[in-house]
Amino acid sequence: MLGNSSPMAEALKHAVLIVGALIVILPFYVMLSYSMKSPNEILTNTGGFIGSQEKMVDDYCIKLGNPKKDCYRTPVFFNYGSAFEKAPLVRYLLNGVFVTLSIFIIQVLVALPCAYALSKLRFWGRDVVFAMVLVCLLIPVHAIALPIYLMLAKVGLTNSYAALIIPWTISVFGIFLMRQFFMTIPDDLIDAARIDGMSEFSIVWKVMLPCAVPALMAFAIFSVVAHWNDYFWPRVVITGDRSYFTPPLGLREFTGGADGDFYGPIMATATIIVTPLIVAFLLAQRKFIEGITLSGMK
Amino acid sequence: MSEQTTSVENPPKRGASLKAAEARTRLISYLFCLPAISLMIIILLVPIFIAGVLSFTDYSLGNTDFNWQGTKNYERIFGRSSYQKMLWASATYVLVVVPASIGLGLGAALLINSLRRFGDFYKAIYFLPVMAALLAMAIVWDFALHPTIGIVNKTLASGCGTLVEGFFSWGWIPGVNGAESWYSTSCADEFPHWLGEKKYAIWTICFIGIWQAVGFNMVLYLAGLTGVPRELYHAAAIDGVRSGWERFRLVTWPMLGPTTVFVVTITAIRSFQVFDTVEALTEGGPAKSTYVMMYAIFEKAIRENLVGFGSAITIVFLGFVLIITLSQRYLVERRVHY
Repeated sequence: MLGNSSPMAEALKHAVLIVGALIVILPFYVMLSYSMKSPNEILTNTGGFIGSQEKMVDDYCIKLGNPKKDCYRTPVFFNYGSAFEKAPLVRYLLNGVFVTLSIFIIQVLVALPCAYALSKLRFWGRDVVFAMVLVCLLIPVHAIALPIYLMLAKVGLTNSYAALIIPWTISVFGIFLMRQFFMTIPDDLIDAARIDGMSEFSIVWKVMLPCAVPALMAFAIFSVVAHWNDYFWPRVVITGDRSYFTPPLGLREFTGGADGDFYGPIMATATIIVTPLIVAFLLAQRKFIEGITLSGMK
Repeated sequence: MSEQTTSVENPPKRGASLKAAEARTRLISYLFCLPAISLMIIILLVPIFIAGVLSFTDYSLGNTDFNWQGTKNYERIFGRSSYQKMLWASATYVLVVVPASIGLGLGAALLINSLRRFGDFYKAIYFLPVMAALLAMAIVWDFALHPTIGIVNKTLASGCGTLVEGFFSWGWIPGVNGAESWYSTSCADEFPHWLGEKKYAIWTICFIGIWQAVGFNMVLYLAGLTGVPRELYHAAAIDGVRSGWERFRLVTWPMLGPTTVFVVTITAIRSFQVFDTVEALTEGGPAKSTYVMMYAIFEKAIRENLVGFGSAITIVFLGFVLIITLSQRYLVERRVHY
């Protein structure tokens, strides 16, 4: 755009954007700050951003019957320590990693051959399959959570990894995206592979897959971000068995029975859950923005 | 799957082998599509059918039998005041979050796009909420908005009795009684329980929704803006378009038409699905003022096991989503340039 370039206008734009940025940053600031402060500092709103880090008494430690002198803690260590001790947070994080990765891998295994067939093979019924893909694009999986939950309950699969993964194994959007991408790959490449004696099966995994890496990267980010952050679906299908909790479920459980003393550890947990994606995003902004806005390519 | 080669390398027996090759391609194609097709049917299509059927029943999980209810479940949704409140809460949320987050997202995109430097810096910051788990951030907002110790009310309270109160009580505007303003009365009494008062709760939930969606919309608009050819601005300048607003109205906004249609659709569908903030912060209350549809489905069908009724809400919900997407398709096909 032909921007208005007077220094006054430029300064004004920055002023507006900075005000907006402060509001956007506010909860991140609160989260990080509280995750490092002692309960007292949180209640009285003192101690600045990182708190004074004065040693505090761990009440729970005293309740366990330890002498007071053994129960002094530095707030930041107390908060992050409690986050891991009070709940099996490591387990939750590993569950999260396992579930998001499984979902992505299965989505690719299902979508890639189908996208290849839809874009490069001629067969009777191809248009019907593609029409089906287009219709299914309209269906948000969260919206049909209830009937999917019923089906899983009928076969006794609630409270399992399968329940967390199965509904997401089909990414209609992934099929659509890969098909569009494969359309741009010249047929000559595939013909050459056929003449070299490659089977269709190995063409998919040895020719098309490497070609699709840029698109797959973007799709991976799209998929992983969505499922790492998802709270609704795990909330529906994991009813009480903590060994299948994903990170957001763990955090929510933590807040359930919490009193004021636990603000620090809760905020520490939130920080731990949010940090991996934020850091990855800051390191590879362009890729992430591309991936998250993928759905804009429809 | 067997390792087969197509017969391109054996030209002699042309007729027969071509047919065989075709049959083989067809077989392979079906094999390749089979997993996707079966999953689409089992995971996406069958559930809609199930919800449709159950919505006319009083089925509960664990029961072997159910009774047909006719359209009673639907009549309840549209007839009972607590479910009318549900429709209202969802409608309010969508109708507030969609325009606000799109307006702010477009504003941010235009500002960032016209900056000479630091554009990427703002872009990264505004995008942060999109990356963060909404549930985690909802819990943080809960703390920030805590009526007594939350940073928001503390900050507001610290402005009391200072120039800040003087300004925001609007008493300096002729004819306005500053003492009656929201800010001054709040100072004298107390600042709101943002999530605990019926008057504020739904707006607070909307605010968090907007906070999260702005960055996403901004990025889509930034992408849209790169697609506006510079020549159009030059042409407009030659035609005597001088002011920034005219330039926006005559060139930028029409060129962003397709982006806007898309942004509206996706924001609307996402807003309809709001759940995390409501579940974690208000549980539909106070007085059902934040009882949005996804939360209603969760509470009625999964917690209270009123599956039939929950299915009816699901179907109504799908109906709304369908209306939104079909209007998008319609607008896209008409190639909207306002």
